[in-house]
Amino acid sequence: MKDPFFDRLLGTDDIDPGCEAGFAIMEQYAEAVLRGEDVALTYAGVLAHLRNCPDCREDTEGLLAALRDIEPPSDLG
Amino acid sequence: MLEMPGGDGESSAVNLADTESETWIRNLRSEGVDRERAVSRLHGFLVRVAAHEASRRRPTIPEAVHAELSDLSVQAASDAIMAITRKLDTFRGEARFTTWASKFAILELSTGLRRRIWRSRAVVSDDSIAERLADGTPSALDAMEGRELVAALTRAIETELTSHQRLVFRSAALEDVPIDVLAERTGSSRGAIYKTLHDARRRLRTSLMDQGYREGRTR
Repeated sequence: MKDPFFDRLLGTDDIDPGCEAGFAIMEQYAEAVLRGEDVALTYAGVLAHLRNCPDCREDTEGLLAALRDIEPPSDLG
Repeated sequence: MLEMPGGDGESSAVNLADTESETWIRNLRSEGVDRERAVSRLHGFLVRVAAHEASRRRPTIPEAVHAELSDLSVQAASDAIMAITRKLDTFRGEARFTTWASKFAILELSTGLRRRIWRSRAVVSDDSIAERLADGTPSALDAMEGRELVAALTRAIETELTSHQRLVFRSAALEDVPIDVLAERTGSSRGAIYKTLHDARRRLRTSLMDQGYREGRTR
């Protein structure tokens, strides 16, 4: 069933680790993306999850956007 | 390198590749002024992260909620600080500390925002699935095989799923109710609801394939 509509509706993947496992390495995935790494193989499970979980996908996009735009404090005083 | 207690009670090495992350961890584990200063600085940073995310989502947020975005961002940062403090020993240094911390602010903002948006909205799941599928599908589904597939899917939803799976599938997949909202309404977690959705999707897909539907829409 390669139809996009039904894929969105019934999409599952055996390598999808689920929300908790995906969240556990979300920061590693995000930094790999920002370094320009090819994450297709190294984070295949995360990518599978993000395809099928709209909430985690939106959050990950948010983290990436924040990392691109916000400089973290470096002076720890 | 810092030493952190592992889950089995033994120490495990933590690879803190950058000194800034190491300093954050050390200060947050300390007491007194150093810790207070680190918490305050981290909170300020996480407010910016949460506010950035709120701003990014603003176009999709109902106007009635816009005035609350600032408060929601501060609340998300505060909740994130609590989560980070609780989970500090799980930080393994495989990314920058500020990246690790930021994901908690995003999660808290996101969850709070979704729940706020849906606060006054009911999660309705009625039986008009066929109409909904037909309404939302590309014109190709007007073809006879498309209608047959929709009918088969509708039957499978009724016969193959448990009542809980049916509620989750209808709400999340057909109505686009956020998983976080379903988790809140059912006293569950995002992960548990997603697992239910995943199992429901697999069961429906298997059912359709057992009926002869393969790649594409035709038998």
